[in-house]
Amino acid sequence: MTLQDNFENHSKQYIFCDDEFLSKEREKIFIKINSNNFEKKNNESLKNLPFSDLNSFNYFFHVLDDKPKSIIKEKNVYQVDIVNGRSENYEDENIKIRNIFSKDFDKKKYVKDNKDNDIVMDFNKIFLNSGFFLTVKAEAQIKIHLNHNTKKNFTIFQQNFFNFQKNSKVKIEENFNLTENTINNIKSDFKADEYSSIEHNIFQKFTSSNKLFLTSNATCQKNSSFKQFSFNFSDGFVRNFHYAKLNGVFAKAVLKGCFFLKDNNACSNKTFVSHNAENCESNQTYKGILNDISKANYFSNTFVAENAQKTEGYQLSKGILLTDTCAFFSKPELRIFADDVKCSHGSTIGPVDESALYYLRSRGIDKKQAMKMIIASFIEDELENLDEDNINKINNNLSNYLNSV
Amino acid sequence: MIFLNINNLNVTIDGKQILRDFNLNINLGEVHAIMGPNGSGKSTLANVLAGNEDYEVKSGKIIFKDQNLFDLNIEERAQLGIFLAFQYPVEIPGVNITPFLQASLNSRLKNQNKEEVDNLDFAKILRSKAQELGINSEMLKRSINTGFSGGEKKRYEILQMSILNPEFAIFDETDSGLDVDALRIVTEGINKFKTNNNSFLIITHYQKLLDYIKPDFVHVMRDGSIVKSGDISLASEIEESGYKNF
Repeated sequence: MTLQDNFENHSKQYIFCDDEFLSKEREKIFIKINSNNFEKKNNESLKNLPFSDLNSFNYFFHVLDDKPKSIIKEKNVYQVDIVNGRSENYEDENIKIRNIFSKDFDKKKYVKDNKDNDIVMDFNKIFLNSGFFLTVKAEAQIKIHLNHNTKKNFTIFQQNFFNFQKNSKVKIEENFNLTENTINNIKSDFKADEYSSIEHNIFQKFTSSNKLFLTSNATCQKNSSFKQFSFNFSDGFVRNFHYAKLNGVFAKAVLKGCFFLKDNNACSNKTFVSHNAENCESNQTYKGILNDISKANYFSNTFVAENAQKTEGYQLSKGILLTDTCAFFSKPELRIFADDVKCSHGSTIGPVDESALYYLRSRGIDKKQAMKMIIASFIEDELENLDEDNINKINNNLSNYLNSV
Repeated sequence: MIFLNINNLNVTIDGKQILRDFNLNINLGEVHAIMGPNGSGKSTLANVLAGNEDYEVKSGKIIFKDQNLFDLNIEERAQLGIFLAFQYPVEIPGVNITPFLQASLNSRLKNQNKEEVDNLDFAKILRSKAQELGINSEMLKRSINTGFSGGEKKRYEILQMSILNPEFAIFDETDSGLDVDALRIVTEGINKFKTNNNSFLIITHYQKLLDYIKPDFVHVMRDGSIVKSGDISLASEIEESGYKNF
């Protein structure tokens, strides 16, 4: 199906098409893309992107009759199911969830909100068909299992808005149960109010016919903390683009990820932290293991504003290439306008350390097991703060991945 | 049974010949030392015995316990009872000592058709061997060689040897980078392990190490071959007048 067909098909949907302003904005963006008149040079959003697939997919979306459920699994532990981009409206003393409508959008923000020429965000705006608000109330201490379930052939273009109110403490486990031949273009905004603390663990594991474009924007106020860990074990394409703005003093952002690629799969990763206040800390670390003819990229960026003195901002990128035919492109970037900061970046990409492999084998450990030990050790640091269930889950997925190596 | 026989071994690396018609015979229960100037091929010999795949064997034969060593890869040689104590043990952050050593020991036991040890039994073995060598139990919680001092790394090699119980241990310049106290601790560990049922090949530049270990045979190596063999007095000769006479 052409982009034009998709656009017309989407325009018949009643959700988000009832607003004249938004419809006009969408049409402008659509014309820009359809006429191929957009910035291509140095456009990070296009790196490793299956653009032809994105341009000629079959738009398919409708609201299902059976409604997803949000349930309390145990005290202060919630399971929020998102089926085809939609959740159940729910509220209790800790949490409030409701689906979004056109009237919810701040129109100025909707127009301006793509300063990076991100083509995936353009698609998200054009075909937006779902999303939800999730508010964690002040002082609440909860855990949320957020499960995205996308049915066969559905194309999801979703915008979610999370607000973590003052002093809340939240752990989110986000999972993607994608069935077959789905496209999931999801943007989530996380607003961390003063003294809130958020841990966001993302698990991506699905088959090769599915695609996931996941974008997040975290905004952190005074003394808040946002820690995100993504683990990508998928056979299908994944794009992880994650941004954080540290707007209040003593705020902290951690954007970390690990990916495990094989066959001809690809993934695209980007993190960007803006330090806009004093005494903030950030850590951006992505690690990848690539096999066969897979390829990946990782762009990391730290921006430190003139007033953001006493900033600590660290970046690290590491890759292990298991064959001569896989590729990992890494580009760290620092832009610092304050003079009293501690910032660093580092990038190491290469094959498995042969001397380590030789050492382990010389102690009787066979090559495959030695390789597993080295690869498992490679992500060891990233598992440090996870709970036992998550560590087991990651170790199982890692073991499956390594069995295919 | 032939314990170890190296016959007319010729080895190259990156096209450069390192070992030339090298011959050596070691029987069970013997301690041999090889001394030689830099670049004479001592470490190459150690690595070829351990199975390092960077080296190309052009011709020759190595028989170990009646088996052609060239039929076996690195791990199979270790499982059969060859142990190389490295000159510079590599740091492997993230790979914890305990599960690594347990996997090593079990691979060796499996090769001997013996029952593998479980976590609990292995913890006991590890603790008792570490205690014997004066190794702090805190060190056993760390990653392989990570953050270890030079002496700690060598002591950890001895610990591995005493747990894996190899029949043939090669020490490649194990004295390099060790102070006098560390050297004494390491050599005491080797001496404690020495029995009639195992053999050693000690590679070194200096007599000091041999004063502690007391080898049965000393060989001088030059340009990839053994040029002279004798007893411990040969080491004293080298200490006095260097390698110029060989």
